[in-house]
Amino acid sequence: MRPAAIVRVAIISLGALYLLLPLVGALEFALRMRRGVYSLDAFAAVFADHRFQDTFLYSCAQAVVTVVLGVGLIVPAAYAVRRHAPRLRGVVEFVTLLPLVVPAIVIVFGYVRLYGTSSFLPLTDSEWGANALLAFGYVTLSLPYIYRSIDAGLTSIDVRTLSEAAESLGARPHTVLLRVVLPNIRTAILSGAFLTAAIVLGEFTFASLLDRPAFGPFMQLLGANRAYEPAALSVVAFGLTWGLMVLIGTIGGRRRGNRG
Amino acid sequence: MGLAPFAAFAVLFLVLPTAGLFVGAFQDANGNFTLANIAGLATPVVANAFRESIIISGASALLGAVGGLAVAMALVGPGSPRVLRATMLTLSGVASNFAGVPLAFAFLATMGRVGVVTIILREALGIDIYAAGFNLLGATGLTLVYFYFQLPLMVLLIMPAVDGLKREWSEASAMLGATAWQHAWRITVPILFPSFAGATLLLFANAFGAVATAYALTGSFINLVTIVLYSEIRGEVLHDPNLGYALAFGMVAITGVCNLIYLRMRAFAERRFR
Amino acid sequence: MHAARVTTALTALVVSLGFSASAFAEAPAALIAAAKKEGQLTVIALPRDWCGYGPMIDKFKARYDLKINELNPDAGSGDEIEAIKANKTNKGPQAPDVLDVGLSFGPSAKAEGLLASYKPSTWAEIPADLKDADGYWIGDYYGVLSFVVNKDLVKNMPTDWADLLKPEYKNAVALNGDPRTAYNAIVAVYAAGLSTGATTTEAASDAGLKFFAELNKRGNFVPVIGKAASLAQGATPIVLRWDYLGLADRDTLKGNPPVEVIVPKTGVVAGVYVQAISAYAPHPNAARLWIDYLYSDEGQVDWLRGYCHPVRFNAMVAAKKVPADVLAKLPPAEGYARAIFPSLTVQNDTKAIVTKQWDSAVGANVK
Repeated sequence: MRPAAIVRVAIISLGALYLLLPLVGALEFALRMRRGVYSLDAFAAVFADHRFQDTFLYSCAQAVVTVVLGVGLIVPAAYAVRRHAPRLRGVVEFVTLLPLVVPAIVIVFGYVRLYGTSSFLPLTDSEWGANALLAFGYVTLSLPYIYRSIDAGLTSIDVRTLSEAAESLGARPHTVLLRVVLPNIRTAILSGAFLTAAIVLGEFTFASLLDRPAFGPFMQLLGANRAYEPAALSVVAFGLTWGLMVLIGTIGGRRRGNRG
Repeated sequence: MGLAPFAAFAVLFLVLPTAGLFVGAFQDANGNFTLANIAGLATPVVANAFRESIIISGASALLGAVGGLAVAMALVGPGSPRVLRATMLTLSGVASNFAGVPLAFAFLATMGRVGVVTIILREALGIDIYAAGFNLLGATGLTLVYFYFQLPLMVLLIMPAVDGLKREWSEASAMLGATAWQHAWRITVPILFPSFAGATLLLFANAFGAVATAYALTGSFINLVTIVLYSEIRGEVLHDPNLGYALAFGMVAITGVCNLIYLRMRAFAERRFR
Repeated sequence: MHAARVTTALTALVVSLGFSASAFAEAPAALIAAAKKEGQLTVIALPRDWCGYGPMIDKFKARYDLKINELNPDAGSGDEIEAIKANKTNKGPQAPDVLDVGLSFGPSAKAEGLLASYKPSTWAEIPADLKDADGYWIGDYYGVLSFVVNKDLVKNMPTDWADLLKPEYKNAVALNGDPRTAYNAIVAVYAAGLSTGATTTEAASDAGLKFFAELNKRGNFVPVIGKAASLAQGATPIVLRWDYLGLADRDTLKGNPPVEVIVPKTGVVAGVYVQAISAYAPHPNAARLWIDYLYSDEGQVDWLRGYCHPVRFNAMVAAKKVPADVLAKLPPAEGYARAIFPSLTVQNDTKAIVTKQWDSAVGANVK
């Protein structure tokens, strides 16, 4: 192999090894639930709970909604900022950084205050309203990641030239967005979608305080004071999240051309 | 315009809910205006917490940024099969949000004093990492654990930019007689720099705002802003939410300053390298 | 004869009703009806493994056919207070009806007008220093800080705080929280100080800090927040935790590994939690029904099944209302006889000293 290729493989292997390393400990411990032998008891306990399926599917659905909503909000905004309002770029970036440093618990209490029973938009009163509020909360939490990915994607393609070319050919703004920009930032959208899905599946604070049957609260319920089940659960969650992402990747990459 | 729905959403679901936080930072328990909370940020405990947080966040962000860039660049290229790239990206996606108590425990079970890998290294290879001075339960250990979610996060964030580096450019450079270094310095770096800086900033904010992992791993030892903040707002003991809001305000201010620095750097890079 | 039989039967029925009624006398039919009309109860910060709350919630749900919304079992006392404040105008299922908070939060929440007063029928049996005179908050249960030990990894059981300093416990001792922020960790520091013989609050807090500094210097202290998982895995073979949590861990781990809960010989400190109804509760009658259940004989014994000593414990033991099998599973009573119940002033003073000085006495900076 050429030296460059060796270096490449070495870096990737090192990275992958490091990311899989902690799982080793968690898995080994989870297998120790039955005294003296390795067994799958902890995993059986995790799957036996009927709430496992329900909460996982709920969170998967929320993940899809969040990704669609998030991308739908941010792609036009990032594009508009670049083309028409470059001075606002700093402001928009700062706003998208806020969810990382403002504690989730402050945001969710803010939601309850603003959109509770006696507000102008009483979302907490109905089932679908609370679900919507949770989705909005998730979109807020994923803002930084989606925006940063899209921004990196827009930087890497020459947005101005592309859109000017399209406009000179008579395309209207939304056509430019949908048919010129979007297909070219596919990698970026996929990155953002991955990060969002991972966040939604594991999120706890919002779901718990809004009283929604999500996977995060279930994991906390099962694992708070146990020993072996939480370790098994983290391994299982790892695998399930992987599965969801393969799904997203397959759907997202379906019409991909020859670009890797 | 495209910005309108986003602006409306941001105001309704991000700005308004957190507005109470900024108001609360300047109020006392009875709702009267006061600067005491802000003054409370200057106490040795809090100032120390800010310093620790900034150091650990900065270190893990830089490490993650460089490592992530290396992996991303290794994934893009003629030699990498599609499957490897897809697998690595998926692994990155999953790992990027594997944090909090589960991650802390996983590391303990793997690299702790009686962790699986620690024991294997000692029994099978005779390497005792703890005797050599390694300690998972300290600032370096915490940075190592933070690195776990920072690295894959960077991979995913910088991937779109790295993807955009066209092969044709390096071929053109080679044809024009440039060495690999010249190509890297004059073409790759300027193009990647804005995205790299932006992603690093995000990594910093990500670590800065992290609390669950730190609390689980070294909760009673290292003093971080987020731990103090959470204890003021939710705590069993301290419970001065206004001080908590002031702490959050301080964190937002620091993030704002970092953002300004980043904007400066980006403007400079864009001017310099045009 | 026929009539006499019927009368006897009726009398027997009435008498038996009377007996069972004395167990449920705390729940008048009007209250039950009103609660059922509300249809649900929202609780917060009640982990299922804590004091046996899991089975208690299920039992209550089944008996009165109410929906129970379990918010954020991970919440701290401060979270619960913030949740009430945030939900003042919200009547949805996100607004907590009842609280279970640390002792010091009772009076402060009452002062902020966040609580509603209610006295269950067994009010008289609750010790005066464990309840608010007007019924705004009521002590619910207590436990003492103990050593929870993994018997697989620790051969000799420590019997007192001083034992923990021995070299055989290197890299073994952990707290169950952060002394800068968690009540149980501060109590641990205070208890360690008391066991050195210090008598005043300040002396005990300082002595406690010195103890942990020494523990850290000798390499016995592990800065991880110890829990069931780290106890079993081996990272924290000795955890300083409330006894009821340790006993619950012992049951959950089912001998893998075997766990022993040891109440130290000296420095035995109890921690009290209190129940309260939110002044903004969307379901006040369901809340009152819940309080009635908790303070009935049945509810108190249910807490005891979760290894938490209920406030009416002494009165009930004297009246022989506690089943023998439940008593048998508890640690020996002598430990509790030595227990000190720190008053609110003592708590506040200890808190002030420990939270501020932990970092300089024991924290990572000391290295």
